[in-house]
Amino acid sequence: MGKFLLLAFRNVFRNRRRTVMTLLMVGGGVAGLLLAGGFFAYMIDGLREHTIQEGLGHLQIFTAEHFRRDETRVLDTGIDNWRQVAATVKSGSHVRGVAPRIEFYGMVSNGAKSSVFMGSAVEPAAESSLGFTPRLSSGRDLSAKPDGEVEALIGAGLARSMGVHMGDGLTLLAVTSDGALNGVDVQIAGIVKTGYDEMDARYLRITLNSAQRLLQSDRVTNLVVGLDATANTDKAAAELAPRLKGTAQPMVLKKWIDLAAYYLQVRNMFSGIFLFLGLIVFFMVLMASVNTLLMAMFERTREIGTMLAMGTPRLWIVALFMLEATLTGALGAVAGVVGGNLLGALINASGLHMPAPPGLTVPISFHVLHLPALMIGSSLIVIVSLALASVLPAIRASRLQIAEALAHV
Amino acid sequence: MEPLVNVASVSRKFPLDHSFVSALSHASLEVEAGEFLAIAGPSGSGKSTLLNLIGCIDKPTEGHIELDGVDTSKLSPGQTTALRRRKIGFVFQTFNLIPVFTAAENVEFPLLVQGIGAGERRRRVADALESVGLSARANHRPDLLSGGERQRVAVARAIVHRPALVLADEPTANLDTKNATQLIDLMRDLNQRLGLTFIFSTHDARLLEHTPRIVRLCDGQIESDTHAVVLAGAGMVGGSNG
Ligand SMILES: Nc1ncnc2c1ncn2[C@@H]1O[C@H](COP(=O)(O)OP(=O)(O)O)[C@@H](O)[C@H]1O
Ligand SMILES: [Mg+2]
Repeated sequence: MGKFLLLAFRNVFRNRRRTVMTLLMVGGGVAGLLLAGGFFAYMIDGLREHTIQEGLGHLQIFTAEHFRRDETRVLDTGIDNWRQVAATVKSGSHVRGVAPRIEFYGMVSNGAKSSVFMGSAVEPAAESSLGFTPRLSSGRDLSAKPDGEVEALIGAGLARSMGVHMGDGLTLLAVTSDGALNGVDVQIAGIVKTGYDEMDARYLRITLNSAQRLLQSDRVTNLVVGLDATANTDKAAAELAPRLKGTAQPMVLKKWIDLAAYYLQVRNMFSGIFLFLGLIVFFMVLMASVNTLLMAMFERTREIGTMLAMGTPRLWIVALFMLEATLTGALGAVAGVVGGNLLGALINASGLHMPAPPGLTVPISFHVLHLPALMIGSSLIVIVSLALASVLPAIRASRLQIAEALAHV
Repeated sequence: MEPLVNVASVSRKFPLDHSFVSALSHASLEVEAGEFLAIAGPSGSGKSTLLNLIGCIDKPTEGHIELDGVDTSKLSPGQTTALRRRKIGFVFQTFNLIPVFTAAENVEFPLLVQGIGAGERRRRVADALESVGLSARANHRPDLLSGGERQRVAVARAIVHRPALVLADEPTANLDTKNATQLIDLMRDLNQRLGLTFIFSTHDARLLEHTPRIVRLCDGQIESDTHAVVLAGAGMVGGSNG
């Protein structure tokens, strides 16, 4: 068996030029997949952390009722004794902090013109302790202790449509939890660019206290939990879920992935693109190698005839040709993994950026992740492709008529 | 005792256009174990066809061939392969060594195919190379060997598994006269020393001086079958039974 492997291995290097061409093609395919996949993974990972850091957090706690029905009045499915729930959660391992939030909506007016806002109310100290900082294009974050004046952050799009700047005043109108109309004057502390144009056109943020006064409620919509690392999400969720069982209102614990619809869409899209690229490489290698392998087999007709005359089982011939192709594939994969990683490292070192994709307002840096799973997957793609490509030549070789093969010139 | 090879009225026709060529017609031949036999005849006379049929790499269209008492026409493809593997050694006109294998590895190949253990293989390869005088060349690849040397490696490969029969189809056609004579002498020596049976073909009558039995082919028919008694120091006394 050792000698047989040796024979296959030496045959791989028999026609140097042809082998180099095949290795270049196979290696190029693998390197391409590594670069594309590594970049996709980098973007997806980046989007994940971005999504979490933008305020999604790792876990979110809602009342069970929140998912059962729509609110008829603001906060009527909110968390009642949220401070107690927050305290319970905070004691969990991996938990870095808990931030209460209120999601509400209403009208914003500059006296002449009004528009709809999607508001969120936060405790600035809790947010910043979790590293959730709004992306300010000007101004500053909400201050923890408002002295009289109610402060607000608004989206860049909303500021433009209202014709206001930092320091200007606006009036917010909202329906309270009792169903009455209430209003509050706010001063713009900062302008926010979330990275998504559609969000920027509706974005408004005030402090939790201000919102509770405006909405006449001491409830919150949800609690956002920040962990020490994204990888600990499942562990922390498993630990916290039983602790939430004892609360007066039934609670629901959601992981970030359950709430990151956009992230999932993007991830699925890139997985699809990568699968497509993999298929292209697979068929490209298959088509190109069938031809090369047939040619190589044809040139070795007399040698095959000789081996068959000496009583070599036909299955050995099939195995030999397939082994040679598989070895070629493996060598090409190694070349591709080495080349792809080198290229990737080079790209990472160069600090290249690419223009912001549609929907995003921040440019993405060109960075490639080195992922072992990707290297194994891409290598398997080309190895399987070459092995498949060799089936036809191998079977043809094994079926050669011995006397004719020996007379072949 | 039955002969090692019994070719019983064998014909081989090849389809050609809408007709056929008769490469061999009603050839009969018996070869005893230990014989050294030449098949002589001009190009196209059917030498390769006859050797291919005896070597079980082709099938007769008429008649049958027995090897060691076994009717080869009754064997399955797998049995035929096994029979070739165990009982026959081949030497080819164009040497046909595996170019990526060294001389020793080429000689080892038939043993590998038979599944013989590594230690035994090493011993037998060394013996075979020794018997063709190429021990010093064991680790050379074919492209570093001369034509004469390559064909001697091929002979070593053909005898390494101690076959009942060695078939050599024009083994000297690609050698110069000196190497050709040496090769025939080597095969004759192996025949006498080890008792191996050789059947070889040639179209060069000059190589047949020391050949005890010559079967002459012409147009696919056996023309004559000559047994010569070679006497030391004396001439040849010929007797024909063909
Ligand atoms: N595969 C084949 N197809 C058609 N004709 C063949 C084939 N093999 C041999 N022949 C014919 O059979 C005859 C004998 O050929 P061959 O046995 O090769 O002769 P030799 O080996 O003595 O030169 C020739 O006329 C040759 O053309
Ligand atoms: Mg011939």
